[in-house]
Amino acid sequence: MILLLAIAAGLIAGLARAWINKRPYQASELKWVWVVVLAVIPQLLAFHFSGAAKRIPDDLASFILVGSQILLLFFVWANCKLPGFYVMGLGLGLNLLVIALNRGWMPISLETVQSLTPDAPPDTWHIGERFGISKDLILPVVETRLWYLSDRFLLPHWFPWRAAYSLGDIFIAIGVFWLLWASGAAHHQE
Amino acid sequence: MNRVTRILSLSAAKITPQHIQLFLLILALSLFVLGAGAPGDTIIGGR
Repeated sequence: MILLLAIAAGLIAGLARAWINKRPYQASELKWVWVVVLAVIPQLLAFHFSGAAKRIPDDLASFILVGSQILLLFFVWANCKLPGFYVMGLGLGLNLLVIALNRGWMPISLETVQSLTPDAPPDTWHIGERFGISKDLILPVVETRLWYLSDRFLLPHWFPWRAAYSLGDIFIAIGVFWLLWASGAAHHQE
Repeated sequence: MNRVTRILSLSAAKITPQHIQLFLLILALSLFVLGAGAPGDTIIGGR
């Protein structure tokens, strides 16, 4: 959800850049968009629509997560000549790596979960269980492989909502912003 | 994507193929970040 902010920010910045340059905004033409649709529909069911997500077993959900992220790597590869896609690919690769090494889930520490849900009673969350219907699995830091790639960063307190994000998420946000910013350039090369 | 933008632009007088292409780009990127990113947040994680 927070990554959609990178799209909004990149679009606004790119449109402003095009306006300043007095050039039309040249939206990049993506290849293999159908791969994104194919990859993300199962994820929407498993992680975003609560009615469906609660009916999908956790084993299947983790399989969907890893499989769909592998598919998304093909989408990145098909578009790697466009600005920002190498950075997006790096972010996706880092997320996929840490997810694959931690039972098919993005690890998050109990302390981070408690920071995200300060109003929840202390015994709401437990080690080894999924964080709601998200892609996150609550794991102790000492048992987390590549902990530094997990969801360990928190949004600042002044933000209107709370979220934890990973280093991979940061790279994805930078890549998306870069692509939309580059579309407003005077000489956009595809 | 070109074929889709041309067909859609024919049926909407003031919407150009560039507008459709931008819409499809934003839609594809939105789906991509939903699939590639893995932020834990209280909207989908909260109880």
